[in-house]
Amino acid sequence: MTREQKPIDNLVLELQERAKELNCLYTIEDSLNRSDISLRQAFHTVINAIPQAWQFPNVCKAKLIYGDIFYQTSDFEETKWQITSDIVVQEQKVGSISVFYLEDMPQAHIGPFLKEEKKLLDTIAERLGHFILHQKLKTVFNEFKVARESVQGKSKGEWRIVLDMIRKTDPNLFISLMRKMLHLLCWKGVEEAEMLMKHTSIARRAGEEDSTEDENKPLKVKKIVNYDQYVETIQRLADENLPDDVILSRIQKWIQEDKSSSLIKVVESQDTSLTEIADAIRKYYHMAPEKFELPPSTIKGLRVSLLRRFFTEQLEYISIAKEYVKLTDFYKLIDKMIFPPGSHGKLGGKSAGIFLAYHILQKESEQIELLRDIKTPKTWFITSDGVLYFMQYNNLEEVFEQKYKEVDEIRIEYPHIVQLFKNSEFPPDILKGLSVALDDLGENPLVVRSSSLLEDQMGAAFSGKYKSLFLANQGTKPQRLSALMDAIAEVYASTFSPDPIEYRAERGLLDFHEEMGVMIQEVVGEKVGDYFLPAFAGVAFSNNEFRWSPRIKREDGLVRIVAGLGTRAVDRLSDDYPVLVSPGQPKLKINISPDELIRYSPKKIDVINLKTNEFESIPISKLIKECGNKYPAFENVFSVMQGNMIRQPLKYEIEDSNTEYIVTFDGLINKTDFLKKVDAILKILQSKMKTPIDIEFVSNGVDFYLLQCRPQSFHGETTADNIPRDLPSERVLFTANRHISNGKVPEITHVVYVDPQKYTELSDRNKMLAVGRAVGKLNKLLPKRKFILMGPGRWGSRGDIKLGVSVTYSDINNTAMLIEVARKKGNYVPDLSFGTHFFQDLVEANIRYLPLYPDDNGVLFNDTFLSKSNNIYPQLVPEYDYLDDTVMVIDVSEMTGGNILKVAVNAEIDEAIGFFTQPSSDVQSEREVKGIVEHQTSDHWRWRMKMAEKIASELDGDKFGVKGIYVFGSTKNAVSGPGSDIDLIVHIEKNKCNIDLLKSWFDGWSLCLSEMNYLRTGYKSEGLLDIHLVTDEDIKNRNSYASKIGAVTDAARPLRLKGKTD
Amino acid sequence: MASKEFNPFEMAQAQFDKVAEILNLEEATRHLLRNPLREYHFSIPVKMDDGTTKVFRGFRVQHNDSRGPCKGGIRFHPQETVDTVRALAMWMTWKCAVVNIPLGGGKGGVICDPHHLSMQEQEHICRGFVRQLAKNVGPLNDVPAPDVMTNAQHMLWMLDEFEAISGAKYPGFITGKPVGMGGSLGRTEATGYGVIFTVREALKELGIRPEDTTAAIQGFGNVAQYAIELYVKLGGKVICVSSWDQGDQCSYTFRRKTGIDLHELLKITDKFGGIDKVKAKELGYEVLDGEAWIEQDVDILLPCALENQVRGDNVNKISKRVKIIAEGANGPTTPEADKVIHERGIFVIPDFLANAGGVTCSYFEQVQCNMNYYWERDEVLSKLDVKMTSAYLAVSELARKRNLYMRDAAYVISVSRVAQACKDRGWV
Repeated sequence: MTREQKPIDNLVLELQERAKELNCLYTIEDSLNRSDISLRQAFHTVINAIPQAWQFPNVCKAKLIYGDIFYQTSDFEETKWQITSDIVVQEQKVGSISVFYLEDMPQAHIGPFLKEEKKLLDTIAERLGHFILHQKLKTVFNEFKVARESVQGKSKGEWRIVLDMIRKTDPNLFISLMRKMLHLLCWKGVEEAEMLMKHTSIARRAGEEDSTEDENKPLKVKKIVNYDQYVETIQRLADENLPDDVILSRIQKWIQEDKSSSLIKVVESQDTSLTEIADAIRKYYHMAPEKFELPPSTIKGLRVSLLRRFFTEQLEYISIAKEYVKLTDFYKLIDKMIFPPGSHGKLGGKSAGIFLAYHILQKESEQIELLRDIKTPKTWFITSDGVLYFMQYNNLEEVFEQKYKEVDEIRIEYPHIVQLFKNSEFPPDILKGLSVALDDLGENPLVVRSSSLLEDQMGAAFSGKYKSLFLANQGTKPQRLSALMDAIAEVYASTFSPDPIEYRAERGLLDFHEEMGVMIQEVVGEKVGDYFLPAFAGVAFSNNEFRWSPRIKREDGLVRIVAGLGTRAVDRLSDDYPVLVSPGQPKLKINISPDELIRYSPKKIDVINLKTNEFESIPISKLIKECGNKYPAFENVFSVMQGNMIRQPLKYEIEDSNTEYIVTFDGLINKTDFLKKVDAILKILQSKMKTPIDIEFVSNGVDFYLLQCRPQSFHGETTADNIPRDLPSERVLFTANRHISNGKVPEITHVVYVDPQKYTELSDRNKMLAVGRAVGKLNKLLPKRKFILMGPGRWGSRGDIKLGVSVTYSDINNTAMLIEVARKKGNYVPDLSFGTHFFQDLVEANIRYLPLYPDDNGVLFNDTFLSKSNNIYPQLVPEYDYLDDTVMVIDVSEMTGGNILKVAVNAEIDEAIGFFTQPSSDVQSEREVKGIVEHQTSDHWRWRMKMAEKIASELDGDKFGVKGIYVFGSTKNAVSGPGSDIDLIVHIEKNKCNIDLLKSWFDGWSLCLSEMNYLRTGYKSEGLLDIHLVTDEDIKNRNSYASKIGAVTDAARPLRLKGKTD
Repeated sequence: MASKEFNPFEMAQAQFDKVAEILNLEEATRHLLRNPLREYHFSIPVKMDDGTTKVFRGFRVQHNDSRGPCKGGIRFHPQETVDTVRALAMWMTWKCAVVNIPLGGGKGGVICDPHHLSMQEQEHICRGFVRQLAKNVGPLNDVPAPDVMTNAQHMLWMLDEFEAISGAKYPGFITGKPVGMGGSLGRTEATGYGVIFTVREALKELGIRPEDTTAAIQGFGNVAQYAIELYVKLGGKVICVSSWDQGDQCSYTFRRKTGIDLHELLKITDKFGGIDKVKAKELGYEVLDGEAWIEQDVDILLPCALENQVRGDNVNKISKRVKIIAEGANGPTTPEADKVIHERGIFVIPDFLANAGGVTCSYFEQVQCNMNYYWERDEVLSKLDVKMTSAYLAVSELARKRNLYMRDAAYVISVSRVAQACKDRGWV
C-alpha cells in the first residue's frame, strides 16, 4: 500500500486486511472458548489460523514455543523475515509466538510486516496468555476439589488449602496476603506476631528461592531468614488465634482488593493514557465481574477517578455522578470510544450530561415505573484530542494560528480550511475505530455532533456555534465511511470557523486550547417514504419561563415539541411554531380556537432525505400527502380538521376534500403517558442534579429516547436577576410580585404607557382603535428592543377593545417587554391576557411578558413619573396627537438625567422591579446579556457610522440635487447588530434630483458595504443601505421618515456632504 | 365618570334612534326596540380539574322575536359585559331582518377566558349554560351559534345537554355544527358568494356587463377566495388581491394586470390566506405595498379583510373609475371615509347586507335540521342566491325610490320590517 494511491482505494485495501484479521481472531477465539480443548489442540488451532490473516498467506508460517515444547505449521522454515510476540502469564514470560515469511516481500512498517500485523500478533499472544492461565487455574481447582474431599469431616484448615493454591499460582498475591494476615494478628494483640513484625521486613518481590542465601547469618538480623518459616509462623499464629471462618472470609476479601488494585493504580495515575485505562478496565471486568464486592470507599474512589479522566474535572458533576455511575458502565463505554494512542482526551460536555442523566434515570427506574424503558441512542465517541491527532497526522498544525488572525481574514480562509480538512486523511487508528463503529451502528442515519470542552465552561451560548451534521448513511460501506469521515472533518474544521473564534476572542478565551469531542449517534426514527424521521422530538425545561396562564406555575415545566427531527424545537423559529405544553398542567392549552390551533401549529418538518442523502426542511402537508398515516404514531401526532372541528384521527378515517391534518400532539398528550414521563424525568433529574435542568428527547413513536441533559442555568437566559433593595421610591417605576418569569430584559431607553383610566374613558370606539394604530407607529419609530409597552388589561384584544389596546403582533414586535397593567375597578381586578393573543410569537421572538397589579399591597407603581414626565408622544405621532392624554412616550434618559430603565426579574422569589440606573458600565456583563438577547458587539455601529459618514462625504449634493443626508435607527443609536442595515434619510430637491441616478449610486454603495459586512460578520444581505428619500414638502408635513429630521426624540443625525464645510 | 366610558349598547341605541327618526316611529315602538325584550343573567358553578369550584357569570339577551325565534352567538370572553351582549343582540335583529329571514335577534356570553381553562372545564361551562337556560331557548324560541372563542365543539356539547334535558333530538336548537352532525353544506362558500350575488345585481342595475368589469380585492381569506371564484365565473377580471404576510408582519398587494388566477394563487397560499411572495413573483405577479389595492384603476373594490380599512387618509386614493364598493368585511369603512364615498356617489353595498350570506346559511342549517332533511350543496347555494338577490333588490329599490344612501336604506328596511311585525302582533 503506497501513499500515492487514492484514499478510497487505500481504504478498501485496509478494510480487506481488517476483515482478514477479524476472521483470524474469530477462529482463535472460537476454539479457545471451547471448554474441553487441551493446550496442545489450542496451540495448533492458533498457529494454523495465523497465516490467513497476513498480507501474503502463501509464504507465511508460524511457530509457537511454550515452555520447551515447539509447535509449528507444516513446511516450516526459519528465515530472517520474522516478528515475534511473547506469551506472558502473571508477568512471567512462558513462551512466544512468531510469524515468518519464507521469501523476501515488499518493505512495510516492520520489515515486510504491517504494524497492524504486529499488533494482531500481540493480541493473539495476550489472548493465549489468558488461556494458559485459565487452564492452569482449572488444574489447580481440580486439585482443590480433590484435597477438599480428602479433608472432609475435618473442615479445619480449609483455608490452608486455599493459601497453598494461591502460593502455587500467584506468589505475589500470596506474599501480600501473608503480610495482611500478619497485620491482622498484630491488631488482635498477638505478641508473637508483633515480634515477627518487628524483626522482619520481607522485600515485596521476595521469591521462595531467595530464602536460602542468608542461611548462615545470625537470627537477630532484622531480615527474614527463612521464608518458609516465616510463612509457617504466620499460618500457625492465625490458626491459633483466629477462627477458621474469619480467616477464610478475610482471605477472600483481600483477594478481591488485590484484583482491583491494578485498576486503581492505573486510573489514579495522571500519566496513564486512555489506552492503558481501557485495558485495565477490560481486565478488571473479565477478572472481577459484579459478584465481587469491593469496599464502597474503593468503588467511589475508582468512580471518581474514571469520571475525571473520561468526562470533566468539575466537582459538581463528579459529586453527583459518583453516586449513580457503576464501574461496569465505564466498561460498556470504552468499547464505544475511539481515541488516539496515548490519548489523554475527554468526551466533552454533551456526552457527560447524557451519560449522567441516563444512569440516574436507570437507577431511579427501580422505584418509578414511568422511568423504565427510557433509552439513549447508540453512540460512539471520539475523544477530544482526536482533532489534534488528526491535525498532527496531516501536518495541519499551522491552522492553530488561525485564531489569532483578523476576523475577516478568518472568514475568507474558512472555506479553504474546510476543504483542507475534508481532503485530509484520518490516522489509521481512528479510521479503524470508525470502521468498527459503522459496523456497529449499521445503516441507520447518523448525526455527528460536537461535544466541546469549552461548552463545559461557557454554557449553551457556545454550544450552538459548532456544527452538528446529519448523515443519511446509505450505500456501500466505503461510501458510508467516507461520508462519515467527511462529516467529522467538517465538524473539526468548525473549531476554526469565524463565529466561535470571534466569540472566544471577545471573552478572552482565545488561548484556551480548544479540543473537541465528537459523538457519532444513530438517529432515532423510521423510514417514511423517501424520508427518515422520528415521530416527534423536542426539549423540556424544569422551569417554565413562558407561562400563558396564571394557573400554570413555574415548576409545572415547559415542553417544546415538534414533528420530525428536534432541530426545530431546539432553536427559536422565525417562521414556524413548535407545540408548547406544560407537563404539570397538560390540560391548559395555549391555543383554544381552531383558528389559533391552525395558526400556531407547526408547518414544516425536518427530515433526512434518504434519496438525496440530505437533511431537509419540508412542508408537513407535503409529507402527509405522500405518506399519509404511515407516519409513525400518526394518531398521536396529528389531529383531523374537518369543517370547524378538530378531533383525533380515526383508525379508518373517511377523508373528503375538506379533511386536513394538523400537528397538535393531542393524542400524545391525552392518550399516552408521555407528559407524565417527561414530568417524572424533569422532577427526578432536577432533584438529583440539584438544579433545574433541560433535556432533549426524541421518539420513534414507540420508545422514548433521551438525547441531552444539562442545567437550565446553562442558558444564562433564564437565571434570576438580583433585585436591588432600598432604592428611593422615585428611582422605581414599578415593582411586581405575582407571576414572575425569569428572562433577560435589555436596557430600556423609552417607556410607552397607555393610561388605563384614560383609555377606558375614551368615548369613541374609533379613538380606541386609533390607540392601537398609534402604538403600531411607535413600534416602528422607537429603537428596537429598547422600549417597553405598558398598557391596560389585555394587549391585542380583538372583540371587545375596551379590555385592552387592539394591536396585532406586528404592532408590538419591536418592544423589549410587554406589560399588562391590571388596575382595580371598584371591587374587582380585571383578568390579564398573559399575552395569549400572540403568545407563541412572543416566545419565539423572546419578548418578555410581565403582569402588573399596581393596587396590590406592598407594590410600587410610580404614577407621578408617568404622569408628570414630558410626553414626547405628540411629536412622534402627530397624526394621532389628540390621544396625548392617553398615550405617553417618555424618554427615560431625558427625564432621569442620563439614566436608563432596568427591569430585573427574579422568579425564584417571584419579584420584579423596574428602576432607573446608570447605563451598564460593566462591559462584560453587558455583553453577556447582549450575546444572549441579540448577538452584537459595539463595533458594528461604529463601522456603520464611519461608512455613513464616508458615503455622505462622497456624495456630490449639487450634482444629484441632494440638500442633506441623515443617519438614524440602529446606527445612530449605537445598537447595530451584525445584520443591521444602515438607515439613511436623503433630503432631495424635488425638481433638481435625478432619482434614478441617485438610487443607482446608492445601490453601488449598498452592495459593496453588504460584501464588506459579510466578510466582517458572516451576515449576508442583498444590500446594507436602507435609503429613504424625502422632499421639502415631506419635511413640512412631517411625513413618516421626514419626521425624524429634527425630531424631539431619536432624531436623525445630519451628516456632512461632499464639499460642504458644515 | 362612568358615563364618559365607551358603551357599545348606547352606540347601538343611538344608531337606532337615527333610523327611528327617519321612519318617524311612534314612541312605544321606539321604546320597545331600543331595549331587549328579555334578558337572562345567571350563574354557572363549575367543578374545576383541581377539585375546586368556580362560579362563572352567563347572559342571554333576546332583543326581539317578533319575526321568529331569536338567533345569535354565544361568546366566551373574560371581560364580557351585558351592554356588549345587548348591542350585539340588537345588531342581530337588524341583520336577520335585512335579508328577510324569519328570525329575531339574540346574543349570549359567559365571562371566562378559555385560554386559562381546560377542555373539560369548558365543557362544564357549556353544559351549565344550557341547564340554566333550557326552558327559555330551543329551536322554536332562541337558537344559539358559535361566536368569539366558541366553536363547533362547544355547540355540540350544548346541543347534547339540551337534548338530554328535553328527552328528544332537536338538531335545530343550535347552528354552526359540523357537516354530518347537523351542519349545512355550502357554509364555507356562503359569505363570499353572497357578496358577489349582490354585486351581480348591482351591476345589472347600473347596466354594466360583468365581463366588462375589473375588481381589486383586499384580503385573501375565505370570503375573498369564494368571492373571486364566483366573480370570475360571472366573467369579471380580478387584477389584484392583498394578503397578510405572517413572516414580514405586514400585508402586500399582488397584482397582475392581465388578471389573477385564483387556483394558481391558492397553490401558493397558506391556510390563512397568506400568499408566498417569492413564488408569486415567479408567477408574474407584481408585489406591491399592502395599501395598493385601494388605488387600482378598477370598477369594483371589495374590502374583504378587516374593519377600518377605508379611512380618511386613504379614501381619496380611490380611482375615479370605481363604481361599486361591496363590503365583504365587517365595518371596513370609517364614518369619515363613508362621507367622502357618499359624496363621490360611489355605489356602496353595506356590510350587513353584502356579507349576510353567512347568517342566511345558518338559517338554512336550522331549517334543514328542523325537518331532519339535508340539502345538497348546490341546493343550499341556489336558495342563498334567491334570498340574497331579493334582499338586495328590496334595499336598492328603497334607496332609489326614497333617494337614500344604500347604508341608510338597508337600516331603514330592516328596522321597519321589525317595527311592522311588532305592530302586526298587536304589541304596539
